[in-house]
Amino acid sequence: MKHACLRDHARALAVAWAALLALMLASLGSAYLRLGAGNAAVGLAIAVIKSAIVVWLFMRLRTSSATVRIVAATALATLLLLIGLASVDYATRPVEPAAYELPRQTPSLAGARPVQGAR
Amino acid sequence: MTAATAAAFVPADVAHDGRAAKLGMWIFLATELLFFGGLLVAYAYARTHWPEGFAIASRRTDVVLGTVNTGVLLTSSAVIAFAVACAEDPAQRRWTARALALTAVLGVVFLAVKGVEYAHEWREHLFPLAGFALADVAGAGLFFLLYFVMTGLHALHLLIGIAGVCVFAGATRIAKPWATAPRVEAMALYWHFVDVVWILLYPLLYLVERHA
Repeated sequence: MKHACLRDHARALAVAWAALLALMLASLGSAYLRLGAGNAAVGLAIAVIKSAIVVWLFMRLRTSSATVRIVAATALATLLLLIGLASVDYATRPVEPAAYELPRQTPSLAGARPVQGAR
Repeated sequence: MTAATAAAFVPADVAHDGRAAKLGMWIFLATELLFFGGLLVAYAYARTHWPEGFAIASRRTDVVLGTVNTGVLLTSSAVIAFAVACAEDPAQRRWTARALALTAVLGVVFLAVKGVEYAHEWREHLFPLAGFALADVAGAGLFFLLYFVMTGLHALHLLIGIAGVCVFAGATRIAKPWATAPRVEAMALYWHFVDVVWILLYPLLYLVERHA
């Protein structure tokens, strides 16, 4: 890489770094607002944007080969698929505290919330 | 090093070896993503069942040190990306070595700050053991269990990354023939992945709800 080219590259990295820090501060600020479920949504959305900047620019997925992109896409799709399937499983079960847990730490929610299939 | 042993470390087809190194690292990182994915599912389950407990417990984490550490790790990622750019020009070998060394130093700073946080949490009885400070708050024990498992596993990954980056910093400095640009890039891919894991952990652990 020629010197001028390296300088341009370094400038692009610096811009991405500044954007990441700005997003971090936006994420921090959003936690102090009363957004209800929106707090988690905003926090996660900003984290996804930051991750995308790191993966796309720093990890160079932007200029990677098709094989590398397929690996990255498959990894993300498998993660989302497994999270989805696991969520379906847990969302339809009553909560039973494990033997080692203090009763006050994980009280059974079966009484507080109707759980389908629970008797 | 003799020419014969040097040749053993440098494959004949350097370009092919470089592509294989990067693809291999991406495949490894795919398995790592699913490894951390299990913890994310556990977190999502516990937070959706005990949202109040998670909010109360999250407010007990040190948001200032957590934010500083996030900044340190984001900076380290930018620095190692610069190292990769330098590594592509053999004339910039010294800058490559310096940027890699700075990356490792930032990683050590992160671990030191994390250690200060752990000590602080130990004094405040936030380890979910006997005498846990939030024993009366439903879900708080699960939050801190996940907090220590997730940050602990992240710290272990970072420690491995620091060791790897130090090896490449030293090898680049003395111009070892096996420290090729694609291999430096493969090492950087691992470092960026550890950064991405922290980017996700930061809002999940430190920023559940800070108001009230």
